Amino acid sequence: MESLIQQIINGLSLGSVYALIAVGYSLVYSILLFSNFAHGGFLVTGGYICYYMLTLTNNNIWVAGALSLIGAGLSAIATERLAYKPIREKTNLTLYLLIASMGMSIVIENFWVIMAGGRFRALPPVIPTYPIRIGSITISFFDILVFLITIAFLTGLEFFLQRTRWGLAIRAAAYDLRVAGLMGVNVNKLISLVFFLAGLLAAVSGIFLSVRYTLYPQLGFITIKAFVAAVVGGLGSLRGAVIGSLILGTAEMLTAGFISSQLRDVVVFGALVVTLLFKPTGLLGKAISEKV
Amino acid sequence: MKDKDNPMLEVRDLKVSYGAIRALLGISLKVTRGEIVCVIGANGAGKSTLMKAIMGEVKRESGEILFEGKPLPPIPYEVVSLGISLVPEGRRVFANLTVYENLLMGAFPRKDRENIKSDLEWVYSLFPRLKERNNQYAGTLSGGEQQMLSIARGLMSRPKILLLDEPSLGLAPLLVKEIFKELKRINQEGVTILLVEQNAKQALNISHRGYVLQTGRIVLEGSSRELLEKEEVVRSYLGETKASREDLKDRTR
Repeated sequence: MESLIQQIINGLSLGSVYALIAVGYSLVYSILLFSNFAHGGFLVTGGYICYYMLTLTNNNIWVAGALSLIGAGLSAIATERLAYKPIREKTNLTLYLLIASMGMSIVIENFWVIMAGGRFRALPPVIPTYPIRIGSITISFFDILVFLITIAFLTGLEFFLQRTRWGLAIRAAAYDLRVAGLMGVNVNKLISLVFFLAGLLAAVSGIFLSVRYTLYPQLGFITIKAFVAAVVGGLGSLRGAVIGSLILGTAEMLTAGFISSQLRDVVVFGALVVTLLFKPTGLLGKAISEKV
Repeated sequence: MKDKDNPMLEVRDLKVSYGAIRALLGISLKVTRGEIVCVIGANGAGKSTLMKAIMGEVKRESGEILFEGKPLPPIPYEVVSLGISLVPEGRRVFANLTVYENLLMGAFPRKDRENIKSDLEWVYSLFPRLKERNNQYAGTLSGGEQQMLSIARGLMSRPKILLLDEPSLGLAPLLVKEIFKELKRINQEGVTILLVEQNAKQALNISHRGYVLQTGRIVLEGSSRELLEKEEVVRSYLGETKASREDLKDRTR
């Protein structure tokens, strides 16, 4: 029983990290309708900025964290301007964007290989990871922290999308980008904003992953699991991305805890196969249909 | 009232192509403040292309588009902020947003945020049904209600000129009549209107002047009353010649 609760908490913590990645990825998908494979690069960029800023600021996680989020957000904007904007202006075919994003993911990864080297790095112990005991259950303080911070960021995002003028514009553009432009929205500005948010959320997950595991240029590969979570939840749906991530994280941890940790990836990709076979739109995909 | 004689919107020798396909072959038209002007034409005549060119959504090959005497930038959001609003073909409401949120989106570029509330009341008075459905998702509205919402949304930016691309598309005749009556009322409240339509009869009935667009060229222009009586307009667009009526009767028998 205790270990079940522990594994569920582990799973929610891992699921939170997936959720931060999947929500940003879904946000971009909902506007431009392509899978941005460079998303993992934003995460790695966030991790490295945090790492270097910690050494510069004498391990001040607040300053380093803030600079990491902003830096990763700006790197996401730069990626869009450099690689995607020239393509979107020439064609409506999203396949080209998809291919460009694969290219950019390699570019960003190798940028960090050159800048930081390929070796694994551990962040200095700025985020507490000691265990805490509640009754007979031992859980990591870090897992609780990850879960709470994720909730704070996702609530902030939800508030922004539901209550602000630009948030409304993003929701409108998710349905029809062209008509959002006809309403007087500067579409390029909106897309930059969306990439900034995606990069920012990816950086949060990048910092968490660097603490949980270590930091290395290929860390972005973990986004593949977050993509799966987004598909399971329903592509383009932010709520779906969160739900899919939490389900996937928990399933992965329960498998690792009770069956075999070698099977955890099988469960993740099994969930993808089952979703695509039986409910290709995912759990919450396309809930509202338009009457014609 | 000096600018009464100057056109508010003027298109001069506009040419637009999509690759090798030439959509507009040099058309010119004018809209004066306070008018309702319609452009009628069949499917594929270039009506939607004209609208998109004015909004800056398609590249102009040559020619000029002037608004209040100045050339229009080919960038949609700048066109909107100058006071031009398009009600797009096929309504295109944001189905995932509520009626209220759709209307707020219409007011997106406005600097005078404090006047939005009174303008909401204004569009609700034009289309009372929208007020009843204020918190409903736009995707759940009927086709006619969606068209009303699309027009109301277009008005929320307080445009000087409202462009409409086929507002009658896919609507029952009775609804079309209702929508066009509202357009006339909107015009009387001071909004200049440029309308492109396949439904020539309704469009000519409410407009002051009209242009007939045929495969990328303007082939006829004049006051709407004149156009309504022109034999070639009647034959091509109103479909109400004696012969066609007889023909229809034969076929439905």
